[in-house]
Amino acid sequence: MPGTPYPKEQMHRIAYTKLSEQQIASKLSGMSGPASASPLSDVFVGKSIRIVTDNGPALAYTFSKNNRLSVAENSGGAAQAGYGALTLDSVAFFSHMIPGTQRGYAVVIDQETNLATAFELWFSGYEDKREVQREIYYGYVEQPGREAPKARHAPTNRVEGKGYYWKQDTGAETLEFYPSAAYSNFVELSRFGGELSFCGPSDYIKINEDFCIYTRTECEFSGTFTAYVIDLNRIEQIGVRLGFDANDALEYSVFRGKGEWLGQIAQFEKFGDETGAPVPAANPGQTPAKGARRVYRPFKTMAKMTPAQVDAVCAKHTSAFAPRAIAPGANAPAASMAGNLGPTTSWLAGKSFTLRYDHAPAMEYRFDDETLQWRKEGRDWTKARYQAFESSPGVILFGHLLEGEPSHDGHSIVADFHQGLVTCLNGYLNTPYFANEAGVKIHFGVIEMEGLVAPKYRRHELTDEMVGRAVSQNYAPGLTSMHLYSTPHSLSWIIFTNADAGGLEWSGPAAYVKIRDGLYFMYWLEEACNGTLGTILVNLHTMRDVGIGYNCGENGLNMNALGAHERLAGHFDVKRFYQVKASGGVV
Amino acid sequence: MNTDNTSTRRSFLKGGALLAAPLAAVAAPAVFAADEELKARLAKLENEAAIHSLHQSWLRRVNLGAAGAATPFADSKNVALDESVCSIAADHAGQPDTIEIAADGRSAAGRFGCAVVIETRIAQDCTLAQMALAQGGGFVRRTERRVLKVEYAKAPGTWGIVKAEFAQV
Repeated sequence: MPGTPYPKEQMHRIAYTKLSEQQIASKLSGMSGPASASPLSDVFVGKSIRIVTDNGPALAYTFSKNNRLSVAENSGGAAQAGYGALTLDSVAFFSHMIPGTQRGYAVVIDQETNLATAFELWFSGYEDKREVQREIYYGYVEQPGREAPKARHAPTNRVEGKGYYWKQDTGAETLEFYPSAAYSNFVELSRFGGELSFCGPSDYIKINEDFCIYTRTECEFSGTFTAYVIDLNRIEQIGVRLGFDANDALEYSVFRGKGEWLGQIAQFEKFGDETGAPVPAANPGQTPAKGARRVYRPFKTMAKMTPAQVDAVCAKHTSAFAPRAIAPGANAPAASMAGNLGPTTSWLAGKSFTLRYDHAPAMEYRFDDETLQWRKEGRDWTKARYQAFESSPGVILFGHLLEGEPSHDGHSIVADFHQGLVTCLNGYLNTPYFANEAGVKIHFGVIEMEGLVAPKYRRHELTDEMVGRAVSQNYAPGLTSMHLYSTPHSLSWIIFTNADAGGLEWSGPAAYVKIRDGLYFMYWLEEACNGTLGTILVNLHTMRDVGIGYNCGENGLNMNALGAHERLAGHFDVKRFYQVKASGGVV
Repeated sequence: MNTDNTSTRRSFLKGGALLAAPLAAVAAPAVFAADEELKARLAKLENEAAIHSLHQSWLRRVNLGAAGAATPFADSKNVALDESVCSIAADHAGQPDTIEIAADGRSAAGRFGCAVVIETRIAQDCTLAQMALAQGGGFVRRTERRVLKVEYAKAPGTWGIVKAEFAQV
């Protein structure tokens, strides 16, 4: 069968329609209740229950059939609605919308304890009206004649560090990682072909030691909301998905799924700290609005420039390796990522050589202490500022901008003088979506230098050895992140809170090149997110990384060095999901 | 309190006892002189107590984030601490505090050993730092031992802070 598993555009490139409130109302009006590929549960049929929540509504339900209920909020009148319920061991889950509104609920009830968690869900609550909003109410199912329980389901960090493969009853397959207590990272294997991972704000709620609730909202993308209960032992899920897809079709379904445990990566909170929701919804002293949460919105906030604007800003301000300044308020480019930068090396000074790339013009070099001269073979010499770092004996990372190149190129180069091999991550601007967004080309090749004999066939190679690993990076006091190498073609970065819980997270396209055993040269692209090309040389033996950033924004074009102390944080067993197999390919 | 000089409660009691002993035996001029000395010492102690109370009150406001509000006639720009200062606590491991009252009783200077919690924001120059700020972080907090030097002035009946600044220990 012809066809590929890949969408026309990856998720961060889809121009999701800005649906109006009226359009959303129209799409919801014909909906009778959530779809389900699995048989709906009749656990509630014939029952009436009243859910009391601490800071939210009291919800009185009467379930007439396995897909019809009436609901009354507080003392309001009852509304008839379609619903879908599923059970997982003692946990029951159901979801419904309220006809005539853009609101609904997803409710989790532990039938052993009668504790309940209700998610109120609504559209048109944010400027991007398709983005589902949620408020969480903790409570219980009222038992006539019995005292209200004191316990509640509660936010937790006990899910942080876990990762699963899920296959839903709809056939949808995902890899889902929870490296943060406030965000999550997901790979759409079946819907998007599994090339890239994406991130969304998430809730993690503890039902008991064996069951938890997870949510995510695909903010900055379709706005779709997903919530499910996880049986942590059996690796099963029941949940709901609500939103509008890339074609603006309503997607409202309850689902059941089974999965595989992929591993557990490290948590960095202080021992004994099991609190959840580490990122406060509002600043200290402020009361968060209903549904409020901290959401990283990089596409909304990034500079989006035209080629003409890029040319103008580059002409006005271009800098490479500006002097470091870590002092508060310093405005040196990315100084905050250079706090733990290792020493530079002067080994290149006085030397000259040619980097002969297999599929790109050869580059000739002559080096001084802080400047180099480069030329594409046979052309004129151009002077550039550079910095160099010897990450491992004989392996030198150096970078420079290529003044005069029409796409304002910058090279981040790893040269192994013990092996005669070189890899260049060639950053460039004037990319198709936003001109200031960096693109990258990988050039493999050899070093031609007096006294050095390069191999004829061996080259550095792309590798999946890092895929699934998590490595933390402390760039400077107050700035610690963690990379999760989630797919062979993307990574995500998690920012730790001051309590060292995983907080906000985002992701971008990436690739990994093996330089030596334990030494990897990699990049990530902050596509639809500041546009930066980050390149780092990760040394797993010394647990240090050194890198070069390349960014163009309203402040100009900058190349800067960065460096971090690292810690291994574990890995997920995921490589097997990224193997190209016979099915699903182009015939 | 000034333990380097003569103004501790213990030295006051001790001095008071020594003064009390010869009262019955001395002649009238001597009694007058002793009375004046006692009054001066009492006034000094009252001033020190008032300044100490003002200092404690001001520290509480600093720690609540309201520095400057406790000084009715001070120039606030000389009193407001750097925004990076989060809290100030007494440093009991440091040198004893001192309060020196001027001879005319209208001004004073205090030196207080303290542990200062300072919070500095990291530069918002990269995606990671922007994300740290967005989640309510993006700052570095550290505690430093400093000496808080405070100048006081007395308006009729009331002490106020004229200037406050930190010095290295």
